[in-house]
Amino acid sequence: MFKLCRSSKYINKTWRSPLRYVSTKTPFDIDESDDKYKDFNTMYSEMFTPPDERTTTRKDHLSDVSGTSESDDLNKDLQDLFQVDHTPLSGSELQDRVKSTGRFVIRSLSHNPYYNLALEDYLFRNAPVSKEVTNKIYPNHRLLFYINNKCAVIGKNQIIWQELYLPELKRQGYEVLRRLSGGGTVIHDLGNVNYSFITSRNEFHSNFFNELVVKWLLSYDNTLPVTMNKRSDILYDDKKCSGSAFKIAQGKAYHHGTMLVKSQLSKFHGLLKPKDIPGIHWDSASVDSVRSNISNIPLPSTDEFINICSDGFQNDFRGGNTSEIPIYYCDETNSVNDEIVTTMNTLNSDKWRYFSGPKFKVEFKEKNISISCEKGVITDSSIAGLIGKDFKTTLEDKDFFSNKIYNKQF
Amino acid sequence: MLNRTITRTVYRATTTRSAIAPTYRLFLRAQSTSHGNNHLNKDELPFKFSSTGPKLVKYSKDHEWLAMHNDGTTFIGITDYAAAALGDATYIELPEPNTVVEAGESIGSVESVKSASEVYAPVSGAVLEAHTELESHADYINSDPMGKGWIAKLMINEAANKDYLDELFTLEQYEKFLKSDE
Repeated sequence: MFKLCRSSKYINKTWRSPLRYVSTKTPFDIDESDDKYKDFNTMYSEMFTPPDERTTTRKDHLSDVSGTSESDDLNKDLQDLFQVDHTPLSGSELQDRVKSTGRFVIRSLSHNPYYNLALEDYLFRNAPVSKEVTNKIYPNHRLLFYINNKCAVIGKNQIIWQELYLPELKRQGYEVLRRLSGGGTVIHDLGNVNYSFITSRNEFHSNFFNELVVKWLLSYDNTLPVTMNKRSDILYDDKKCSGSAFKIAQGKAYHHGTMLVKSQLSKFHGLLKPKDIPGIHWDSASVDSVRSNISNIPLPSTDEFINICSDGFQNDFRGGNTSEIPIYYCDETNSVNDEIVTTMNTLNSDKWRYFSGPKFKVEFKEKNISISCEKGVITDSSIAGLIGKDFKTTLEDKDFFSNKIYNKQF
Repeated sequence: MLNRTITRTVYRATTTRSAIAPTYRLFLRAQSTSHGNNHLNKDELPFKFSSTGPKLVKYSKDHEWLAMHNDGTTFIGITDYAAAALGDATYIELPEPNTVVEAGESIGSVESVKSASEVYAPVSGAVLEAHTELESHADYINSDPMGKGWIAKLMINEAANKDYLDELFTLEQYEKFLKSDE
């Protein structure tokens, strides 16, 4: 139960707030003789006790996870007690919130990467931007959080075959997507939080939001060794735990970032190609992926990271207002509309995934073979008869691959 | 209830300057490697296409420039200001030749160190040519954004685009727009 509770979506800032602002070790001052609250108090005292000092109750709680009825009851109690509403927005509510002025936080409860990337694009495209230019601070900042099932995501201007070991990804059940913004290639799993900060073009600067994230992380725990590098990546102990991509369009900009919290990093090996593979030469203007050593940031849960940032955002962007910046929830079943579905279809189409991106020429030195390709179609090749064929199908032809261009590392 | 909350948030937020504002404005200036003006380069094709130079040079609030010649041939690119603000360009996404674009439609994008920035057609017309030299020379966007760094060549009908052209900034208006933005 301990684990379930702490990472449960039903715990939200409503009852985390005292902890931040009163800064006391026991956020609740509840009569311990009252059985109803006993679990909470035990849980909280454990949250703020180093692991080695914990009592065995933690294990007891963990062993309860399989029996969901108790935790369901508890969650329901919690929901009633703190009136937490995680009901996802309907399609029309989503549209209404997105197109109206005002700041908000929005969390996707779906793990479908196609939905989440399409949602991000929808939020970005439809955030209001004033026609006249003013000196005022952009009033419609948005902060989106989502977590994707395992997938590989390449940048808009990259070559999919240069970046990814596609057969291996397929074998392991990874989805493969080309995002709508720039940047390099990353692997996502359920331990990785994606955040997206939408602002105006004028206010946009690539360091801006991650500086805030670092600030919020340090105010949560000032012993965390988090820093930022020149690429505005966030480093934990000098290893990258967060990468960023940016997009500017229609007078607006978004900063998309990832934060590795509980990712199974060991499973990421062998999915991304190294910059150089012996015998293979790529000639193109594509955008480089910067290879980095990576690390999780040791927070208790992905939810904890989201809460830290939501709290920070609500505090720092309130602008002197007494009422709180709202947090909305959405999911794939309820919070959809035609625009989102269209983008999901685009993202999931071969045309976008494989046949977009820069033109390129790839050479297989050992076999003295070269293939040039534009929008997925072979435009020139040292092998007769390839011109006009599509590159993807050609590569997937096992006979062709093993007889002609065989390179075990390709 | 919710709506009212939001509205109030906006009202306060826009009338109370928070501490965040000066920070990013400073940043925007700090990363700029601007040439200092947004004049079309008279030594390059967008200007020299016709012997008399372009009939009209205009600017959009999205920081595109256009140079229209007498026959309707129109060059489009991003301004010096925009190029400097984006930083080193790494990849230029170009439009497809022989396609029709509507004003406001994306005709490509400039990916810089890590951002992808859309480029919009300020007018409607047919794409005659994409500047494919940028495929191997993305750096022209920074070294000469208003000359060698042109992105697309369109054929436009001036009369049909009158409203769009009227709405675009002159150089003077654009510079003023930039100042008001600081």
